[in-house]
Amino acid sequence: MIRNGFLLLLLLVLFSVFYFSLQDLLEFQKTSASYFLEYGLDETGSSNLVTSILLDYRLFDSLFEAGILLIAVSGIIWISKHEIEEKNAEFMIDKFKTPDLFVTFSRLVYPLMLAFGFYIIINGHVSPGGGFQGGAIVATAILILYYIDAEKETNIKLIVTIEKYLYLTILVIASLSFFTRGTFFTNIFDPGTFDTGTQSIYLIVLNVLVGFKVALGLWTIFTAFLKEGR
Amino acid sequence: MPDMLEVTAYALQVLLILMAIAIVTHKNNGTIIILIAVFSLVTASLYVINKAPDVAIAEVAIGSAIIPLIYVISISRQREFIVLDKAMDDFIISDNSFTGVGYIFLKRFTDFYHLELNISNDVRLCSLGAGRDQLLCEETNVDLIITKDEDTGKYILKGKESSILMNKLKQMAKDYEMIEVVTFKDRDFGD
Repeated sequence: MIRNGFLLLLLLVLFSVFYFSLQDLLEFQKTSASYFLEYGLDETGSSNLVTSILLDYRLFDSLFEAGILLIAVSGIIWISKHEIEEKNAEFMIDKFKTPDLFVTFSRLVYPLMLAFGFYIIINGHVSPGGGFQGGAIVATAILILYYIDAEKETNIKLIVTIEKYLYLTILVIASLSFFTRGTFFTNIFDPGTFDTGTQSIYLIVLNVLVGFKVALGLWTIFTAFLKEGR
Repeated sequence: MPDMLEVTAYALQVLLILMAIAIVTHKNNGTIIILIAVFSLVTASLYVINKAPDVAIAEVAIGSAIIPLIYVISISRQREFIVLDKAMDDFIISDNSFTGVGYIFLKRFTDFYHLELNISNDVRLCSLGAGRDQLLCEETNVDLIITKDEDTGKYILKGKESSILMNKLKQMAKDYEMIEVVTFKDRDFGD
C-alpha cells in the first residue's frame, strides 16, 4: 500500500515537471518555429520542415542518432552470438507452420509494402516521412518475407558490413559541404546560388542512404531474434 | 458547439489509458500483443491530430508492425518442449497415431505447464551414441531424450538437472512402472 502511494506520488511529480516544462517550451516555440516556417524552404530546399531540421539544421544530432542504431545492432549481435554451432532437431510435426491464408495474403501485400516504403524514403523532402520511417516500412516488408518462407537463410555478417559502410558514406556526404560552403553538416549546394530543386538532390541522396541503413539495421535485429532457439 | 477534433482527441486519450491498464492486467500473451499493436495505432492517430504526421508514420511502422511481430516470434519459440525419441517403438506412436503410453504421459506433463510438446526423431541426432546424450542436450535445443534399456525394458528419460521441469517430471513418473527419469549433472563452463 505504501509502495503504491509512493509510485502515485512519483507519477504526480513527473506529471507536474512535464507540465511546467511544456509552459517554458511554448515561450521558446514562438521564436524558433516562426523562423523555420519563414526561411526553411529557401535555406534547405525541403518543403517538409521536419526533414529540413533533421537533414540540415540539426544534421549533427541526426548523425549520432543513426550511430545509436548501429551500436544497438552490434550489441544485439554480440548478445545473441553462440560459440557452439547449434545443430537443431528436425520435427516430425511442425506446429508453428504459418497458415496458408497468411502466406497468400503476405505475397500480395509484400510488393505493395516495399513500394510504399521506397515512396516514403524518396519523397521525404516534400511529404511526411523520410529515411527513418521509410526504412522501418521496408524492414517490415522484409520481415513478412520470413513468414512466407521460414527456411530463408541470411548472411548477417554481410548485412552488417554493408550497414557500416553506408554509415561511413553518410558521414562523408554530410561533411562534403565543408569544401563547397565552408561549414560542416549542411546542404552541399549554397542556397544563394542554387534553386530549391537542385538543393533537394542532396536531401534525396541522404534520405535514401539513411533509409537503407535503418532497413538493414532492423533486418539484422530480427534475424538475430529469429535465429535464437531454432 | 465544441470542436469535433478536440473531442476525438480527448476520447482517444481516455482510450489510451484504458489500453495501458488492459496491457498490464491481462494474462494471455497473444491478446497482450494485439493490445500493444492497437495502443500504438491509437497513439499514431493522436500524433496525426496534433499535426505530427512524420512521427505518426514512424509509430505505425515500429509500434504496430515490427514490435508485435518480434514478440510473436520470441513467444512462440519459448513455449516449445522438444523431445528426441531414440527408442522408436510404440512408446510414442502406436497404431500410426500419437496414442502411446509415453506420448500421453508427456502430453499430461506439458499441458500442466502450458507448453507445446514437439517430438523429433531426427536421424542425424538419433545416430549419436548414448555416451554423447549429455552433449546433445547442451548443444542443441533438445530438452529431453527418450532411450530404452534393452535388459529391463524400461524407458529412460534424460534431461538437464538444472531444469526445474525435471523435478516435476520425476514426481509424475513415480506412477508409471516402465518410466525412469535420469538427470545430467551440470558441467562447469568457462574454465
